[in-house]
Amino acid sequence: MHLSDRVTGAVLVALGGLSAWGGSRLPAVPGQDVGPAVFPMLIGFGLVGCGLLIAFGIGHSFEEEEEGSAPGWLYGLRALLPPVLLLLYVLLVDRLGFLLTAAGLVLVMALAFGARPRLALPLAILAPVGLHLIFGKLLRVPLPDGLLAAPW
Amino acid sequence: MEGLIQGAALVAAPDVLLAIFAAAVYGLVIGSLPGLTATMATALLVPVTFYLSPIAAVATIITASAMAIFSGDIPGCLLRIPGTPASAAYTDESYAMTRKGQPELALGIGLWFSAIGGIVGTLALMVLAPSLAEVALSFSTFEYFWLAILGLMCATLVARSSPVKAIAAMLLGLLVSCIGMENPAGTPRFTFGSPDLLGGIEPIPALVGVFAVAQVMRAMLLPDPPPLERRRFGSILSGQWALTKRYPKPLVRGNLIGIIVGVLPGAGADMAAWISYATSKRFSKEPEKFGTGHPEGLVEAGAANNSALASSWVPALLFGIPGDTITAIAIGVLYMKGLNPGPTLFTENASSMYALYLIFILANIVMIPLGILLIRASTRVLHAPRAAVMPVILLLCAVGAYAVGNNLFAVVLVAAFGCLGFVMERNGYPVAALVLGIVMGTMVEQSFVTSLIKSDGDFLPFFERPISGLLAALTLTALLWPAGVWLWKRRHGRRLPAGRAAG
Repeated sequence: MHLSDRVTGAVLVALGGLSAWGGSRLPAVPGQDVGPAVFPMLIGFGLVGCGLLIAFGIGHSFEEEEEGSAPGWLYGLRALLPPVLLLLYVLLVDRLGFLLTAAGLVLVMALAFGARPRLALPLAILAPVGLHLIFGKLLRVPLPDGLLAAPW
Repeated sequence: MEGLIQGAALVAAPDVLLAIFAAAVYGLVIGSLPGLTATMATALLVPVTFYLSPIAAVATIITASAMAIFSGDIPGCLLRIPGTPASAAYTDESYAMTRKGQPELALGIGLWFSAIGGIVGTLALMVLAPSLAEVALSFSTFEYFWLAILGLMCATLVARSSPVKAIAAMLLGLLVSCIGMENPAGTPRFTFGSPDLLGGIEPIPALVGVFAVAQVMRAMLLPDPPPLERRRFGSILSGQWALTKRYPKPLVRGNLIGIIVGVLPGAGADMAAWISYATSKRFSKEPEKFGTGHPEGLVEAGAANNSALASSWVPALLFGIPGDTITAIAIGVLYMKGLNPGPTLFTENASSMYALYLIFILANIVMIPLGILLIRASTRVLHAPRAAVMPVILLLCAVGAYAVGNNLFAVVLVAAFGCLGFVMERNGYPVAALVLGIVMGTMVEQSFVTSLIKSDGDFLPFFERPISGLLAALTLTALLWPAGVWLWKRRHGRRLPAGRAAG
């Protein structure tokens, strides 16, 4: 997702403005000039300043353009798969349990990277089991059991 | 002396030795896979260190990061894809050597001079840290404030990106650190009524998101790296001694630059490599050979990035101010294990400090045999299909973030920071500055607000104390440096060699 400097600069200006405004509304500590509002407001002003500079292209001469062609929009959406899978993991892991959810995550990711089923299926079984052994058994992280509890 | 013996006893414990070995293998493999960086290797280790003894925890971080910085040279040399940003500075050079048919020599330089750099950097750490601790004892919040700001400013002087964008990224990190009620007044800020945000945003999910998830996202869009042809390597270390004798000056200079850059808060191995490669070219007797597979620059930069790795622990241990993203993670681990950074660490916990030095030296010695093994196996390791590595990394992100606090909200944060890191990187905003902002935000605010309260809202005391004035001057230099470079470039019509601007 390559955006122009104007767009990212404008986003920063908006964000800085919001944080300065939000900061200024924080309640002050009675009897003290310097309260919780100072820091967010300073950062906010700083962000507004940087955003403006970026939007007007100052400092651009230091940048080196990234190599490689920009992928199309639809292809670019593929990049969203990992975070979406993480969110699905959060939603499902308590109900389905760690082993099943993790297997699903690994399987989908492996297939998305173009793995053949011959690689993807064993990976989807071995990786969750291995990580469960390390984190659940060895390090005693309480990974949820859900539908399929680990036999150990 | 007593401390040294106690330290040695701490390191000789079986769990520590095992941790060093396991972390060494892990760091070597992760660092050598293209796209998996040293920082990512370290960040993914943190959840594991929760469950280790303090010394073993620190040992895994030190060993894994040192190994990963070295092994990042391997795909750079063989495939022209730097394994870690710290080896990006000389990837073209070492790939040129491979094409000339000298991959052994290039990899050997990486290994041999990395180990030397690591050991020299450790010696510098051993000498500098305790002597600076005496000075640091007299530091007040004013000095801490400037040190933290200096660290943040140095972090914005990253190679190959716009300083304005770097500062914006740093401010964004500071803004993230405002979330929650971890501020001097204890007021909940920017929590939007969510109880999960009350405690603030922990650096670890942010780090894992920005460095690991964002990398997986990027890999989704990139084609598979080219397959590596199978080859048999000749002797790796032969000829290294001759090179050491032939290039003593670049070696010393590389180590010195690494140490200086490392000690500066906020600047670490990546910057050391860029600067020292550039100086090596600048002062070389045969600058025309650079870029054609000439070992001189490799010697200097290879030593520099590893010595910077060790000496960046100086500000980390003394002030709790990270020298780079790896020490930013290490500081979190130190706090977690009760080894709170600060000048008193060297008096109260002397044996742990000796143990830490010994681990550094041990790690750099172990690096040579394990590194040779990895180089020999590299054709097979680099053959690991991305389709098998990336899904496991993503799963590790989820489990690791959850393991830190047994809280699923951390996984949501990881996903969010993954997206943020991905978008930032694509648009030229350096994510390291963001991370340092997040890590140091609380400290900056704390020292700033306390100082302001002490001085009754007056800004003069920020510059009045001698050390604080000096640090302020350094900070302003770091702030104005890009403007100076820009003016210089304009006047001299861009005759500056590429890479100089990075300094």
